[in-house]
Amino acid sequence: MLIKQGKKGLDKKFERIPLEDQPGPKSQEEMDEMKMPYEEYCRKVFDVGNEFVKPTALKGIRWLSTTMYIFTPHSVTNLAELGAEVIKIEMPRMGDPMRHTSPFNEAYVYPLHDTRPMTGTGVACFNANVNEYYISMDYHREEIKEAFYTLVRMSDGLTQCYRPGTFDRWKQSYRYLQEINPRFISVWGGGFGYGPKIWGGSYDILGQAHAGLASITGFHEDFGGHPTKSTNWNIDWYSGTQITVAILAALLWRRKTGLGTKIEFSQVQASTRCLEYGVPLYGRFGIVRQRWGNWDTQLCVHGIIICGKSDYPNDKNPQLRDEARYVMVSAFNDPDFKELCNVIKRPDLYEKYKTHKQRVEAEAQVEIYHELEKWAADKSRSEVTRILKDAGLLAMPVYNDKEVYESPHFRQRGTVRWQADPWYGDAVVHSTYSAGLMSKTPRRKFWDLRPVGGDNVKIYHELLGIPLSTIKEWYEKTII
Amino acid sequence: MAEEIKLTLPPEAEYRHRPRKVQEVKEIEINSREDTLDLNHPDVRPWPVTPAPSPDWVMENLYKPRHAEEFGKWCEDNLRKDYAHLKPEALQGYRVLEVGTWKESGPFACSLLAELGAEVIKVEPPGGDPLRKLTPFGREEYMLKDTYTGEPCGLAFIHECRNKYSITLNLDTEEGQEMFKGLAASADVIVEYYPPGYMDERGLSYRYLSKINPRLVYAWTGEVGQWGPWKDEVSKFGQPMLDPFGMVACSWVHNTGFPPDLLPREMGGNPTRSGPWFADFTAGEQVAVSVLAALYWRDEFSGEGQFIEVTSAEALMDILDFDITWYGFNASIKARTGSWDPNLNQYAWNPCRDGYMMIGGQTDRLWYRIGMCIERDYPEFGRLIGEDPLLKEMGARNALEALTKTYTLTTRWLRNICRYEAEQKLLEYEVAAGPVLFIDEVSEFPHFKYRPWVDTIEDEHYGTILFSYPPDGYQMRTPARVKWLGRPLGKDNYEIYMKYLGIDQWKLRELEEKGVV
Amino acid sequence: MCDIIWCKKVKEDGTVCNTVNYLDPFNFWNWEGTIACAECGTVYYIHMIQGWMYRGPEEQPPGTKPDILPVYADKPLEGYVRYRPGVEGRTRPYLCLPRDIYLGVPDPRRFSIRGYPVRGWPNQPPSTGIAGSAGFKWEIEKLSPEVWQEFLEKKKKGEVRDW
Repeated sequence: MLIKQGKKGLDKKFERIPLEDQPGPKSQEEMDEMKMPYEEYCRKVFDVGNEFVKPTALKGIRWLSTTMYIFTPHSVTNLAELGAEVIKIEMPRMGDPMRHTSPFNEAYVYPLHDTRPMTGTGVACFNANVNEYYISMDYHREEIKEAFYTLVRMSDGLTQCYRPGTFDRWKQSYRYLQEINPRFISVWGGGFGYGPKIWGGSYDILGQAHAGLASITGFHEDFGGHPTKSTNWNIDWYSGTQITVAILAALLWRRKTGLGTKIEFSQVQASTRCLEYGVPLYGRFGIVRQRWGNWDTQLCVHGIIICGKSDYPNDKNPQLRDEARYVMVSAFNDPDFKELCNVIKRPDLYEKYKTHKQRVEAEAQVEIYHELEKWAADKSRSEVTRILKDAGLLAMPVYNDKEVYESPHFRQRGTVRWQADPWYGDAVVHSTYSAGLMSKTPRRKFWDLRPVGGDNVKIYHELLGIPLSTIKEWYEKTII
Repeated sequence: MAEEIKLTLPPEAEYRHRPRKVQEVKEIEINSREDTLDLNHPDVRPWPVTPAPSPDWVMENLYKPRHAEEFGKWCEDNLRKDYAHLKPEALQGYRVLEVGTWKESGPFACSLLAELGAEVIKVEPPGGDPLRKLTPFGREEYMLKDTYTGEPCGLAFIHECRNKYSITLNLDTEEGQEMFKGLAASADVIVEYYPPGYMDERGLSYRYLSKINPRLVYAWTGEVGQWGPWKDEVSKFGQPMLDPFGMVACSWVHNTGFPPDLLPREMGGNPTRSGPWFADFTAGEQVAVSVLAALYWRDEFSGEGQFIEVTSAEALMDILDFDITWYGFNASIKARTGSWDPNLNQYAWNPCRDGYMMIGGQTDRLWYRIGMCIERDYPEFGRLIGEDPLLKEMGARNALEALTKTYTLTTRWLRNICRYEAEQKLLEYEVAAGPVLFIDEVSEFPHFKYRPWVDTIEDEHYGTILFSYPPDGYQMRTPARVKWLGRPLGKDNYEIYMKYLGIDQWKLRELEEKGVV
Repeated sequence: MCDIIWCKKVKEDGTVCNTVNYLDPFNFWNWEGTIACAECGTVYYIHMIQGWMYRGPEEQPPGTKPDILPVYADKPLEGYVRYRPGVEGRTRPYLCLPRDIYLGVPDPRRFSIRGYPVRGWPNQPPSTGIAGSAGFKWEIEKLSPEVWQEFLEKKKKGEVRDW
């Protein structure tokens, strides 16, 4: 097909190009590749599970991570997954406070640790600092300054999360670092940045609350709902990735100019960035976007409904027994909606709301979803999904962690997989590979967190050439 | 004595700061909501309603008391948004084709690239991306009309159509396919978000285009995948899968929301989706990361492009904290915890006198500072929280009973005070605290106005628009920026087809008549 | 007393109950009904509006059936005796939980759900490397031979799976 079309349109453009260089398959293998079903081609080209035989995109980049919690670490983790060498620097003996986070205080792993053998590392800090080397360093101490500057000389950039001005006071801000390494890219990630709230600290949840995301997530006040927190630290992670975008753009720019830069990123602002039409709607019409629960403000039917029966009525886990009964239903185009009304035996609904404009009105949505839930009241969510799918409509159960873990889809795509972490043992990996498949330079994960100072010898001695005796002395003095 | 440090704007940035002209007072009769719409127009009700603090005020009241005058000045001089347009663009010279309809993921990816200077050409079917027609609750009065043609366009589309050119092309016609190949031959990147196989059926997928242009970086993005057992579906009537399918497929929705223990189901104690199409936003930014990494590898090492696939479900699963890892640890299935976080304490928002107040501070240092702040007004807090041995250990504070106790007593303090008071009190102790703000309050919050995080732009077609400013816009050398917002359908047809395919206007008219563009 | 009910009921033995019952903010922000003290069972009527006790707590005659129980209560004056969630007849069971059991303390795990070793129990041997250095191998045979043995047996019994 391609060859035929290709000839027609491209002949002129390529007439001077030798035959073998002209577009189109050049070997039997390439010919086969073009003929195979598309899905098979995708499988072949991404070749999940064999990531390590391919190169990495950011080979040769070295990055310093003087970060804590999730937000700034994630901006660097993206680089580490793409092949950059990352050195994470923590305070001696203390480490990243994220190590002390665990859901309901229940899930910890315990690395070998000299100081606090009874204090574990919470599983909550997994996935945010992968593939990195871990050293400890107390920046306050004069003895360590030179080592820090040497690392700066040898690296491409640094991401830090201290309060504004702190690194400047310690003479570690970009003002100083650009003097010793003009190619250096220095990133500050935090809550607010320069300006009236410069000294305000920040967390993910502050971003969700402060900048608008919470005000449009959750059930409407009139129904009794509250602003709802996203289950994950989504503003942390999501703004971390936006820093990575800025870093990669800066690296591409540096290829042209040889100059580094300073990037200041406020995570709270990132929450304002994802409000869709919220800000322009207010600006032009003075209308303040509100929460709209599990329905969609711009499409109907496109929402989540509750079914009467659980898929696992006898399971002892409450998440399966009581909660496995929500389903996403989508039928907003006219023929889809018509079919949906037929399926639930309410063709009158279609007659009443024939156009999308009619059914996306708030009152209409209340009625339509109410009728859908009435229809689903004596069914389980898998029954509802099956009936709708059989009718050619779009529906999906609201999956839980167990079902995601067991999903054949994610397993085949390698985005949920087991990995033997060298330090913590057996762990499910649901990050890194899931951030995106790349055919030639795929992301990969070697290990998750390492213990505080776990690579002190590797970096201070083997990279910087500091004598072992000095390292031991520094360690005893808690300089490292 | 050191010279006094002052913040001044350079003259070349001055005209960007001309104050708005004051509007004359008009008598208007209001009979219906429609009569009020124009009253809210930015020319009448300017943003911001009250001016942002001046740089001098910030220097005097914020930087000076902390002896950070020099640092503050350095930041303002090097990072201020006002200078963004005076600086070069990082991705200048990279050409990106954005192809697809309906979704926010591909558009957001291309917005990020376009904000950083890439030339993004949005290729739409001749009828336009259906997203142009979407408006909340079907309210056509909230769409913006093109100044020249009167054609209305939805705000969600306009907001994500930043710095992009718009061309139309019918990929179902043979000529359209050829023209697309022509564009692809000289493009650096294609970001596509049609249903799986759509482009392949037309001979326009990566396996074909990479033969024409081996340097091409081609990214597909969708909800769950273009291959695999749960791959994206299209209904039998042709309706595509859109977010929140992505949120639903990765257990994000299941894990978000209030538990019935805190809020009855009929009032909203259910699994809850994110208000915006958040999974699409996460996928979009990972598309941008993968594309930029691929460009770096191409330009630095190999000269080769590659194929990328990012899905909303998986990109959101990538940042789903530790949830699936936790299932592998002891078969826990993460449950909803409302606005409380089960991993950190304090780390939640709770109701207060005029809304909800968020307080965060997990480490001992911050935990006791929160205590000191609250005790000042409410001594019993110290008695019950500060002295409780269970609450002295950082990890143990995350037990369910510890969360219940902490937040009950914190709220007992909060119910007396408004968000602003609580924020001021907590900031005195340097606790990370902030109110839950609605979008009007976000737009008027002093810090946000100062930077600004929402800003207005005068668009040729759609008038003055308030919009979310790119968070990557605060950089010393190559900040992201917004040059225009929204683009009428096919506005750039003649320019782009002439420039990149050499199609002159007589030929293009013919193609228009044939329905190719 | 508002978001908490500090029960001062004099019990039959003459002592004061002195139990603090915590009324969590989301459930009780706007709420009207009766609630029982976790320790002595005294039932109080409360009517809360915007977090404020509009009426109550008013002691109800003995035998009144409470509408609800607190999720948590403790006795700060007596060395923090605690009623954690789900103590039958005293505190409300918390239903929306990740598992059928609730611990609130670390769950010491030696094996993942598919049967491979996980370093999930406290008091591991100290690090042996210089300045906290750690290698890239868990020398489990040496450091925790009993777990290694258990793993080998599990493997033999087919309890170790790929997924």
